[in-house]
Amino acid sequence: MDWLSAMRLDALAAVDFHWLGLVLELMLMPLIAFVAGLGLVLMLRKIAARLQRRVGPPLLQPLWDIIKLHAKETQTSHGLIHEIGIVMAIGGYVAAVTLLPVPGMNGLAQQGGLIALLYMTMIPSLGLALGVGQCANPNGSIGISRALTAMLAYDVPMVIVIFGVAFHFGSLNLVHMIAAQQAGGVATWGMVQMPLLALAGLFALQGMLGKQPFEIYVAPAEIATGPMVEMGGKFLGGLFVMQCFQLYTGGALYVTLFLGGGEHWLTFLFKVFVVTAIPMTIAMVFPRYRTEDMVRLFWKWPTMIGLLGIAFVMN
Amino acid sequence: MATSPTTVVDQLLAGLHLPDGFDAVAGVIRESLAHVTNSAIWTRYGQQSLEWLIGMNPVDRLFMLSALTLLLMLLLGRLRSAGVLAVLLYGAQFAALLSTDTLFGAPVAAEVRITVADQSLHWSYDALSWFFAMITIGAAFVTAWYAAGSWMRRYREAGQSARAFHVALALNCFGMLLLVGSADLLSLFLGWELVSWASFLLMALVGGPGAQAALKYLAYAISGAMLLLGGIALIYSIGGSFEYGAVVAAIRGMTDVQVWTLLLLLGGGFAVKLGLLPFHLWQAAAYAEAPGAGSVFLGAISARMGLFGIIVFIVGMIGVSRLMTLEIPYTFMSSRELIAWIAALTIIVPTYTALQQHDARYLLAWHGIGQGGYMLLGLMVGDAVGSAGGLLHCFNYAITQAALLMAVFAVVHRTGTADLNQLGGLVTRMPLTFLVLLFGIISLAGLPPMAGFVSKWMVYRSLITEGMPLLFVAAVVGTLGTILSVYKLIHNIFLGQLRVEHQGVAEAPLSMLIPMLGLSALIFLAGFIPGPALSWVAQVQGQLGLPVVPWVLGGIVDPRGGLDMIWLVGILMAGFGVGALVFYGFGGRSRRVHQLDNYAGGHFLTADVHYQYSDNFYAGLMHLIGPWYRGAFRWLERSLAATLDLVSFGAEGLYRVAQPTLLMLAAAVAMLAWVF
Repeated sequence: MDWLSAMRLDALAAVDFHWLGLVLELMLMPLIAFVAGLGLVLMLRKIAARLQRRVGPPLLQPLWDIIKLHAKETQTSHGLIHEIGIVMAIGGYVAAVTLLPVPGMNGLAQQGGLIALLYMTMIPSLGLALGVGQCANPNGSIGISRALTAMLAYDVPMVIVIFGVAFHFGSLNLVHMIAAQQAGGVATWGMVQMPLLALAGLFALQGMLGKQPFEIYVAPAEIATGPMVEMGGKFLGGLFVMQCFQLYTGGALYVTLFLGGGEHWLTFLFKVFVVTAIPMTIAMVFPRYRTEDMVRLFWKWPTMIGLLGIAFVMN
Repeated sequence: MATSPTTVVDQLLAGLHLPDGFDAVAGVIRESLAHVTNSAIWTRYGQQSLEWLIGMNPVDRLFMLSALTLLLMLLLGRLRSAGVLAVLLYGAQFAALLSTDTLFGAPVAAEVRITVADQSLHWSYDALSWFFAMITIGAAFVTAWYAAGSWMRRYREAGQSARAFHVALALNCFGMLLLVGSADLLSLFLGWELVSWASFLLMALVGGPGAQAALKYLAYAISGAMLLLGGIALIYSIGGSFEYGAVVAAIRGMTDVQVWTLLLLLGGGFAVKLGLLPFHLWQAAAYAEAPGAGSVFLGAISARMGLFGIIVFIVGMIGVSRLMTLEIPYTFMSSRELIAWIAALTIIVPTYTALQQHDARYLLAWHGIGQGGYMLLGLMVGDAVGSAGGLLHCFNYAITQAALLMAVFAVVHRTGTADLNQLGGLVTRMPLTFLVLLFGIISLAGLPPMAGFVSKWMVYRSLITEGMPLLFVAAVVGTLGTILSVYKLIHNIFLGQLRVEHQGVAEAPLSMLIPMLGLSALIFLAGFIPGPALSWVAQVQGQLGLPVVPWVLGGIVDPRGGLDMIWLVGILMAGFGVGALVFYGFGGRSRRVHQLDNYAGGHFLTADVHYQYSDNFYAGLMHLIGPWYRGAFRWLERSLAATLDLVSFGAEGLYRVAQPTLLMLAAAVAMLAWVF
């Protein structure tokens, strides 16, 4: 058995793909994710506005913001890595969303499962961290140190949730998970089958999206917005795009794991918006935790709930 | 057909099973060889020696070349060209290893054997030996190249002996080749001791803290060897033979208590070398303080010899299924879970110790200990994907750690320090070294698209499908700690503010850069196309009797969730393309500014202001977990040492002050009581 024969096998398997359709999917999936992400940013601002008794921005405001930031005359770069960091931040998410199946499109979900998706979403964070580091501003570095600590905090309950879900469905393949949940209606949804894990997952989602009370790494008054301190113009614009993808990925992943994915686009996007609205609403009524308190919190409650959830799933 | 270098090369290339496109490369090699074979010297001497070499047993040939390397380094090690010669010789060893064809073909026994007191020591190469020998020679090859030029000049200038370094490296390589080819318990022990003393030599070369650490290693290594010797004695007393075939039969006939004893003896001996908890304390300092290139070699492969022993005896001969039947009394655990948990703790404790290091060399050395845990964990899960992941991680880790250590020592070469609080901003001065370190840290942290992701993914996946939640969480917690720690590494060296004294620093010299960049390319390729490496691992699994991983060129095929890195890396590159398009394609042109043109809360920055965040990088996290570092293992080590000290002091006192004869008598009585 040498790897040449395996290459032929692989090539044969690849023929099964409908090439043109796949290419189209791979182009459409990031585009849809971006547009949905713009909508999620708009919703975030609307929720904040309503809670503060304001009207909030108009429909196309997030898009105009990105265009404005890109069009700015002053574009300050601190070096090549600063620029590449932004490219990685956008590019990593463009790639990651193709692993997340949506109604009618599986993209590359068969080629890499849940763990691959989880680690793929760390690439944008790495890019951002590198870019911020190159800026040579300690405020930014402190922000990244806190953001990475936050990741260490929320990823512990997150991987517990991922273990439980993958064990429950007996697969890491997201397409299988959606099919299994849609087979028996709401009763087979992950949320109904694994309520404790769904709760822990929601907790982790709050941290993952970097919303209050878990946004100490931004802390505008203390470390001058942390990672964003040296970001202006299209550098900030790139981070804006990244945020759109980030909100979409978080929401869509939760829907895929616990809410049966999407039967069609309308229900899918509805679920994504509802799920993402929960952390956003919670965020607006909270101040922020200190880094160590955040770690303590995440390693205590959601971790305990998650482990309890696994205990139920495995029996 | 007459034997000529051309036919030899043809055979080697055929053994590699390369795709058709490589014909052009082979053509170039053939042509350049033709120039050599037409020369007068060749027809006079070369032809004969080549024919003699070809006629040899392939394993003998490998040993002969390795011994020749050692001899030539002893004789010529002082010459300036010794470095280049060493690179060529390691290259020849690599070719000799490929020509054994023991990976895809049948095992080959060496004709060389030593008979001592009716016991014969002999050697044989199979797929497992090939796999570890390949990593060993590869590591020696890149190390020798790295050391061949500017690095060695600096090393000589510091008053160190180039010959000693070359000899130490060649001896390490030779010892490891003997060890991985051992076919009976005596040759195993011979190889084991050779490897132990050779690595001591490499560690202790430069003296100072390195020699201190090497002495500590020696204390551990000798205790480990005693355990190993105990294990060998136990097997011999039951089976009556040192042959591996008889050993397998002897182990099969052992009672549970005997297997437990064997597990503690052999496992303990190998665990010392691998640096498993609680025997991990020697490793970081010993590897970090070795001379730069030596540290690269030690870090890449040396500790894996312990894993090799565990694979041969515990995975291969005892077997994971036997381990599962060995229950620990009064618990729900079997010996397999015990070993898996030791592996998991070996991941977590050293990784979070690495997080606290201020010295780049120590940081990487501590991670090296932690990564060994992933390999053992994968093997202990024991299913097809998990054990393949553990084995594959040996290879992926070796190329990653070698590249990382090379990058760090290149920085040391240029700046004179590895102190993470004394560096910063070097990316503008050493961009290629930065790239090497970046590829390395992505792989070490196990993120796509690099090699480390594939093997770690396989370990995670097996933990999920085999239903081991806590071990899975432990493995991921280790990975998260690694991400934190390696970001600190790259940030504090290459990002942030460039210090005034480093304004004039130049890129690493070419002789060091070439192996670094070559390894980086390999790290990327082994992540992009894991198929070839998986095919080696599959052969090893087949030989060990483990379930064989269902691999393809791009990764794993499995209905419960596979992995196809060709697609994932392809889409990631496409994503970066889109990102570049969005960033560079739209909007105004960006203007580069000086690093002091920064927001500083209303102050103006000048070059003499340190505007860098490096010390206590994870202050928030350490606020919480800082008090958890209690140094329990150091305390254990110290108290053991103090106890030994006290006992020897007492014995000495008895001998000097009381009657020597009394002591002798007591010792003799104790000995007799123990024997009968």
